[in-house]
Amino acid sequence: MSPLTHPREARAFRFVRRDHADGVVSLVYAFDDGPELVERIVFPAASALVPARMRAFEAALDLLHLVAGVSYYKAAVPAQILVESTRLDAATAGFLDALYLHGLGEFAYHNRLDLRGRIRFPVAADAPGAPAPALGLAHRTLVPIGGGKDSLVSVEVLKRAGAAATATWVGHSPLIAACAERTRLPLLNIRRELSPLLFEYNKAGAYNGHIPVTAINSAILVVAALLHDHDAIAFSNERSASSATLEYEGQAVNHQWSKGWEFEQRFRERVHARVAADLAYYSLLRPLSELAVAERFARSDRYDDVFSSCNRNFRILGPRPADRWCGQCPKCHFVFLALAPFMPKPRLLGIFGRNLLDDAALAAAFDALMEYRDHKPFECVGEGIESRAAMAALVERAEWREDALVARFADEILPQLERSGLALATQLAPGGEHAIPAGLLAALDADR
Amino acid sequence: MFPPFPRFAIATPAYGHPIALCCDARKNPVFARAGSPLPTDRAALLPADAPWVVVKFGGTSVSTRARWETIGRIARAHHDAGRRVLIVVSALSGITDQLKRIAESRGDLACCRAAQATIIARHHALHAELGLPRRNAIDGWLERLAQLLDDPRCAGGDLGWQAEVFALGELMSSTLGAGFLAGQGLPLHWLDAREHMRSAPLANQGAWARQLSATVPAAPDAGFAAALAARGESFITQGFIARNDAGETVLLGRGGSDTSAGCFGAMLRAECVEIWTDVPGMFSANPRIVPEARLLAQLDYEEAQEIATTGAKVLHPRALGPLRRAGVPLVIKDTNRPALAGTRIRAAASDAAPCVKAISARKGVTLVSMETVGMWQQVGFLADVFAEFKRHGLSVDLIGSAETNVTVSLDPSENLVTSDVLSALATDLAKICRVKVIAPCAAITLVGRGMRSLLHRLSGVLAEFGALDVHLISQSSNNLNLTFVVDEALVDDLIPRLHGLLIRADALRAEDGAVFGPSWLELAGEAPAPAAPTWWRRERDALLRIAAEGTPRFVYSIDAVRASARALRVAVATPSGEPLVDRWHYALKANPHPAILRALHEEGFAFECVSLAEVEAVRTTLPQLAPGRILFTPNFAPREEYAAALAAGVRVTLDALHPLQHWASLFDGHEIHLRVDLGVGRGHHDKVKTGGTGSKFGVALDQVDEFRALARAAGARITGLHAHLGSGILDASHWRSVYAQVASLAEGFNRIESIDIGGGLGVPSRPGEAPLDLAALAAGLAEVKQAYPRFALWMEPGRFLVAEAGVLLARVTQLKRKGSQLYVGVDAGMNSLLRPALYEAWHEIVNLSRLDEPVAAMVQVVGPICETGDVLGANRRLPACREGDVLLVAQAGAYGAVMGSRYNLREPAAEVVS
Repeated sequence: MSPLTHPREARAFRFVRRDHADGVVSLVYAFDDGPELVERIVFPAASALVPARMRAFEAALDLLHLVAGVSYYKAAVPAQILVESTRLDAATAGFLDALYLHGLGEFAYHNRLDLRGRIRFPVAADAPGAPAPALGLAHRTLVPIGGGKDSLVSVEVLKRAGAAATATWVGHSPLIAACAERTRLPLLNIRRELSPLLFEYNKAGAYNGHIPVTAINSAILVVAALLHDHDAIAFSNERSASSATLEYEGQAVNHQWSKGWEFEQRFRERVHARVAADLAYYSLLRPLSELAVAERFARSDRYDDVFSSCNRNFRILGPRPADRWCGQCPKCHFVFLALAPFMPKPRLLGIFGRNLLDDAALAAAFDALMEYRDHKPFECVGEGIESRAAMAALVERAEWREDALVARFADEILPQLERSGLALATQLAPGGEHAIPAGLLAALDADR
Repeated sequence: MFPPFPRFAIATPAYGHPIALCCDARKNPVFARAGSPLPTDRAALLPADAPWVVVKFGGTSVSTRARWETIGRIARAHHDAGRRVLIVVSALSGITDQLKRIAESRGDLACCRAAQATIIARHHALHAELGLPRRNAIDGWLERLAQLLDDPRCAGGDLGWQAEVFALGELMSSTLGAGFLAGQGLPLHWLDAREHMRSAPLANQGAWARQLSATVPAAPDAGFAAALAARGESFITQGFIARNDAGETVLLGRGGSDTSAGCFGAMLRAECVEIWTDVPGMFSANPRIVPEARLLAQLDYEEAQEIATTGAKVLHPRALGPLRRAGVPLVIKDTNRPALAGTRIRAAASDAAPCVKAISARKGVTLVSMETVGMWQQVGFLADVFAEFKRHGLSVDLIGSAETNVTVSLDPSENLVTSDVLSALATDLAKICRVKVIAPCAAITLVGRGMRSLLHRLSGVLAEFGALDVHLISQSSNNLNLTFVVDEALVDDLIPRLHGLLIRADALRAEDGAVFGPSWLELAGEAPAPAAPTWWRRERDALLRIAAEGTPRFVYSIDAVRASARALRVAVATPSGEPLVDRWHYALKANPHPAILRALHEEGFAFECVSLAEVEAVRTTLPQLAPGRILFTPNFAPREEYAAALAAGVRVTLDALHPLQHWASLFDGHEIHLRVDLGVGRGHHDKVKTGGTGSKFGVALDQVDEFRALARAAGARITGLHAHLGSGILDASHWRSVYAQVASLAEGFNRIESIDIGGGLGVPSRPGEAPLDLAALAAGLAEVKQAYPRFALWMEPGRFLVAEAGVLLARVTQLKRKGSQLYVGVDAGMNSLLRPALYEAWHEIVNLSRLDEPVAAMVQVVGPICETGDVLGANRRLPACREGDVLLVAQAGAYGAVMGSRYNLREPAAEVVS
């Protein structure tokens, strides 16, 4: 496929090769016999790898190459997948099949594609090979920072536990850089350059849409952990990330599948099997609901004037709240609602620069968060019950009760709800599966 | 421009800068010795009744040796002029914050030690810089700090302990200063302010306020003044600190050093109190937001109090009370520019004309609106409500009331943000009424004596609030202010516009030199350079010849069009000269004259058209032009125009869903651009704002997804995004903001190639109006472009290119006097130039026949159309005009002839290219 032919007509997607030199990883892909799509990932200077870790590093590069291919594969979703760079065992191929199928679930929904049965990574190795050994990595944690509240809660948990941690982020974002700076942790910024050819394909009408970016970042961080000698990667995905956004033709579609528990387990299992037995990969907030994370965030005002969970990518920062919070996307709406029960109203309004719950024009947006008359938006937002519980809590608060959307909820929606499930305490209780090291679990729970 | 005060003395330059002092020196015989070397002991030289002056210096003024030398010069100049001097100082800049970390550490020793280390380092560094021989005095205070860190009261944050911690900042700075100034030959006594400042508890004051925001009831005290005079002639003491009746250290709260200076000034019945700062004085608006803000030369106590209370940070309002009661004037002076007279505050003159002095804004305001059906004639409702505010320790600022509602405002306080006090208050209020909390708001306040007699001048100002949600209006009962409470997000953009409108309405009489000094821009040396003589001044004779052939006439200079096009291209570039704008379009609705189109084509401009007729005008004039260089950006145009434009290969911009919903087949296979409405409008007048729900332009952001779906379904590709928010914008940061917003929106699209941020580049019209800062515009664009290199940047100026290049020549028809008004009638009216009537636009008008004659009168220049609004220029100062004189209306090259009409069946002015 050349850039001139229609991108959607490609027959095969090829994992051509991957290289590493001087901290620069090149990931090479192609459609059919078309031009190579080369993605570069640039890691800050690191000391040379000891030979004992080379095998692990090669495996990490393979994993990254295979996971990051999803950005390119989706441009054409061809029927065939060819892996020329390595030989896949059955477990890895199965993991990739699941990642590509579920991670592209929302993409498929929007593009009206059915990917079931279409994604088949070829199994070439008969046996999985010897399991990866422990590498004796240093006891330090990479904590990816996204600029939103979740990773900042993780940072504070790690600090409280006295764990050595490095604030890490991928890409150029002044907002994330400002948040990372505020953590006062050591910083690690990784650059990622997509193949410019992908933009050409997009212009020419390639498929486009949501990709499982957390999976890609996870694979990048595994490489970073080896290069920069860390023995743990602590993501900040919470419980609700595991729940589906909607059902579509019998298939659960989850906007944030790669932030969910299933991905976390399967990815960890692959890392331990192929890369290093002592490289921990987990989500520090997994047992918490979004509301529980919001409640923890509200305990400190350290990040009030730098963080943003807004979906819009603010490459240009400004001093005003509107320069960080668009106020129009579901993320803005949800985070506003989730924080409201836990902080003084003037503080919250100071963060956002406006009162989203007193804007009658946003009724439909908040209805969607509460799963009232609509499906949950394709965003990383909490479960409907969390939004309903937060709203119900605000109804009990005199300083919120008369705001347009709270009053509307009280009049119109609340009477239709089963009140028993709406208690905030229920939503705040930790629960569910997780893989958090025991020492940190104490710091996560031993609050207040 | 800037009136010297009738009373001040200039010290000789012997001490460096000439220093303008506020006090009346002439009545002191010793003034004659100004500049003479100081004897080491002057105690006997000043008469017993020598007046006092209190000079106060803030944190940055006491942080370096150079600044202390300045303090020495100022004190000495006063002393030489025969005054006893009391210097009041703040802590070194940043030190109070470090002390606050300790005071609020709650026993976090690591935090305390870090702050302590910073404090020690700063004071030792300044000690060394000042070259003081001994360190024991300052080390004594640092030792006291160490003791306080070990104090068991630290863990609990005891208020008395906190006050002692905070007090060290001023005690240390005054100690260093005393040592330095004494070494400079200024005989100076160090005074512990706490020995003389005695706080008194107020009835409703909580423990916190009694200890950390205490009040000193200062009144003239001849005994204190005499006792101090007996000890010496010059003293240095601390701001911010006092003692209570129990002898404990207390603080005077935020801005406490100003308060101390005010109290000492009152107690000594000083001739004057000088607050020395880093700014020239108080301004008619916050100069950081409004660079055109004017220095306020003269205020009365009450006005200054209002301005200080409603936003200005330069002076703490609590300083003024004691001075007003004692009749002591206060002057705000600039340490960096001691020769500037600053702002003088004194008792109101009885004959002062009503005038707006300042516009200020306070952000972070919270409104509490309380509604009850029972309020009507209900006895005691307000008392019940206010009792709750008092119980929760919240002080109410503004109040608006109705039969069933009372709404009050709460000023921003840390309390509101860090504690649940508002929630608790609302819970208690909810027992007696329905309560609604409205925030974040900003209070915009117009300050000036006699506000109620100014209302008729404020119509233009009030119109600005028309499109906004005004939550509360309050007119203060002392008739000194008028306050509007609006959403906080609006205020930064609103204040500069309102300031301009106040001047335009003559409500803020900036030309009154007794009240208003120079603008911030002028003081900063950034005032617009006097413009080079315009082309029409150079070509006056030729223009008079054209007028002789017939009037009214529009005359265009094509050279001037080319010059502004080139200037724009050169200015809007990177520092290395790379163009930032990838394609310039000329918005030809400003002036579609063929000669102008040809010239701009040759200058490399593409064209932006808003009607099919405009498209055809371009294609007729420039038949060789590639149709892709024409952008068709209509609004509510009929289907046929889109069809014709697409057929011609012109680029089409849609700004509604309707075309895609109903004429989808038209766009199949075509590239289209989308005009979005970013939700806020900008512009010099309501009628030129093109953003916001009140405007008919653009697709609202919440409909963009639907637009994309429709385009996809129609088979159209969206390859460009466009936003244009208004016209006549002189704020260079506007385009950076639009560009950044559109670019971040464009990231979510697949095929966007270009971002068109419109035009709207303002052209200053009034004298003194700063031109658009193209360098700042370019810097802003460069920043965004670097972040989003993928997208080509397009712009589409119109008026900016052609306004200056056109003039309207008209002949005087008749003169008329009516009452005090003098009318000059001309043969061009609103049918030739509609902008003054439509937008209240201001065009310079000169008598071309008598260009160099002196101004004879203020006149109204009017046209012949039978409309009261047919006024080309109101209140213009012109030489005596006679029938047949040629008047020239400047900046008529844009939206002039093209808006002409045959109203009254009068032909509009014809067009001539010079």
